[in-house]
Amino acid sequence: MNEIIISILRSGTPLIYVTLAGVIAQRAGVWNLGLEGLMIIGACATILGIMLTKSVGAAILIAILACVLASVLLWFVIDRLKANPIIAGLGLTGLGIGGTALAIQSIFGSQATVTAPFGIPKLGPAFGSYGVLSVAVAAMPFVVFAMWVLLRRTRFGLRLAACGEHPFAARSVGANPSRMRLAALSIGGVLCAIGGAELAAGSLQFFAQGMTAGRGFMAFAAVIFGAAHPVGATFAALFFAIVGAIGIRAQLTFGDRIPHDLLQALPYLATVFGVWLSGKLRGGAKAASSFAELRDQ
Amino acid sequence: MKDSLITVVRSLIFVIFALILCALVFQLAGYNAPVLLWAVLDGAFLRSGAIEQSLRWALPLFITAVGVGISFRAGFFNIGAQGQFYVGAICAAFAAEAVKGGPAFLVIPTLLLAGMLGGALWALWPGLLRLRSGTDEVITTLMGNFMAGLLLVYVTSGPLKDPSGSGQQASSRPLDPAYRISDSLGLSPTIIVIAVVVGILMWLLVNRTAFGVLASLAGRNGTMVEWQGARLWKLGLSSFLVSGALAGLAGTIEFMGPNGRIASGFLPAHGFTAILIALVANLSVLGTAVAAVFFGGLASAALYLPIMAGLPSAAIDIINAAIALFITARSTFIDRVLRLGGRKT
Repeated sequence: MNEIIISILRSGTPLIYVTLAGVIAQRAGVWNLGLEGLMIIGACATILGIMLTKSVGAAILIAILACVLASVLLWFVIDRLKANPIIAGLGLTGLGIGGTALAIQSIFGSQATVTAPFGIPKLGPAFGSYGVLSVAVAAMPFVVFAMWVLLRRTRFGLRLAACGEHPFAARSVGANPSRMRLAALSIGGVLCAIGGAELAAGSLQFFAQGMTAGRGFMAFAAVIFGAAHPVGATFAALFFAIVGAIGIRAQLTFGDRIPHDLLQALPYLATVFGVWLSGKLRGGAKAASSFAELRDQ
Repeated sequence: MKDSLITVVRSLIFVIFALILCALVFQLAGYNAPVLLWAVLDGAFLRSGAIEQSLRWALPLFITAVGVGISFRAGFFNIGAQGQFYVGAICAAFAAEAVKGGPAFLVIPTLLLAGMLGGALWALWPGLLRLRSGTDEVITTLMGNFMAGLLLVYVTSGPLKDPSGSGQQASSRPLDPAYRISDSLGLSPTIIVIAVVVGILMWLLVNRTAFGVLASLAGRNGTMVEWQGARLWKLGLSSFLVSGALAGLAGTIEFMGPNGRIASGFLPAHGFTAILIALVANLSVLGTAVAAVFFGGLASAALYLPIMAGLPSAAIDIINAAIALFITARSTFIDRVLRLGGRKT
């Protein structure tokens, strides 16, 4: 049993950090499809940072810097150049996946994976069999709580939600939606960096090209499934991690007798169902974007 | 006319801007940017046989991109081309198992039809959810992409598995060569004819039918069109189905043509590239053809770079991504410069 919980926490923690980044962007009114790209930038920068500075703290700082810069780029394109957030987000994802692959190839040649000498510190034997988990896993519940407080119990968080839901009304009470989006995306950048760092240096200590393998998009699905509530989305991400762990276990136990690939589609199916249901309950979801608007300028 | 010219120049400016940005990135990453970009151009269009290779990639991309353009025009942000492409190929592969042994002149159209049906089916449910319950199509089609990808893994390692296949990538049993519509190089008269027919039909649909005109209007202002008595419901669902069917057709062409089988996770960037093509072309059918050749060239250069020039193919992904980042930007500055002396807006 412990073993299953450990594997769920291990795969779930990076997902939860990135999901929280998606939640804060979503509340500011930005559908962040760049999460995948931000996460892989965080993962790559952490491993390269560890090799360069021989210090995990400095490496995570480098990763945070890289992810915040990428987030600011996304903000600039969406907010200043008025680009479509969905396409720009997908572009950022492509830039992250391609850029990290290019960086690895330009530094290490044709090598596909880069191994760091050490990773994020572990909890240690004091925690029994859970000691193999990294400190980022232990910090995760506190970060979730902090995000809940920030988004639901502070002036900033409520203004952020107002800016996301009705920028015009928010502006009329003196909030600056543009600056709020910048703040939300930057905080998201920090969280994506930690998520990426935990993915690459938490229990693995290596970076491979394309190693996020869709986790950023899964985090986005968790944001939607969890209705952009920090706690709801965290549980959604945890649910996705559980389905993943069950899938792996089923594959080990039953081999090819049950279609575990189809089981992996469950989170996506659940997300579709969740969006449909919330649309029913709230009387139709708001359209994210309109291309007509784009064409007419 | 002036407006369409402005649109072309705008797209060109953004593409060039993206290329400059990429050149900077390449230079920072330690590559010689001019050499790298020249190698891309060389691999895409200049070296002997490059045009044929670029067209091989351009034709399926064109078919998917025209479909994407149809649904964007109608105001539906169907980003599920990748999933529809996969499900189309999967349906064609199942159909190929079912009608094995029949005469080629019957089997080939059957498979193409099966692929189109499959693609349309994968666009049907997001369309229904959108039009009946207002469920956002961005989420449903995005989730549909991942589900289709997993379905592809399942069928290629389960029902359609090639037992002789080995290695990392699971793939289906190969299609009987009698039913292939091209060799592995992927450019054949059949595929060219299909693409041209699709292009002409879609151009007529968009520009010369009530459907096309109403769909474009509905994309701009659905309420108005509905008040004027058009059935928004029918219009929207048709545009979903057309875009899905075309993506499915492209998947089937890849299956029956160059690949000859389906493999788990094949051509993972097809749908995204098709969306870019539709956007660069500003959703016009003719523009889509031109943009498809450009992006087809990039796709062929991605294969050429690592082998011939010893440069990483990730460079092409970065170029595509940079174009995606900026192509929908509505910088009023550029428009102001372009309209200098023109009419006021």
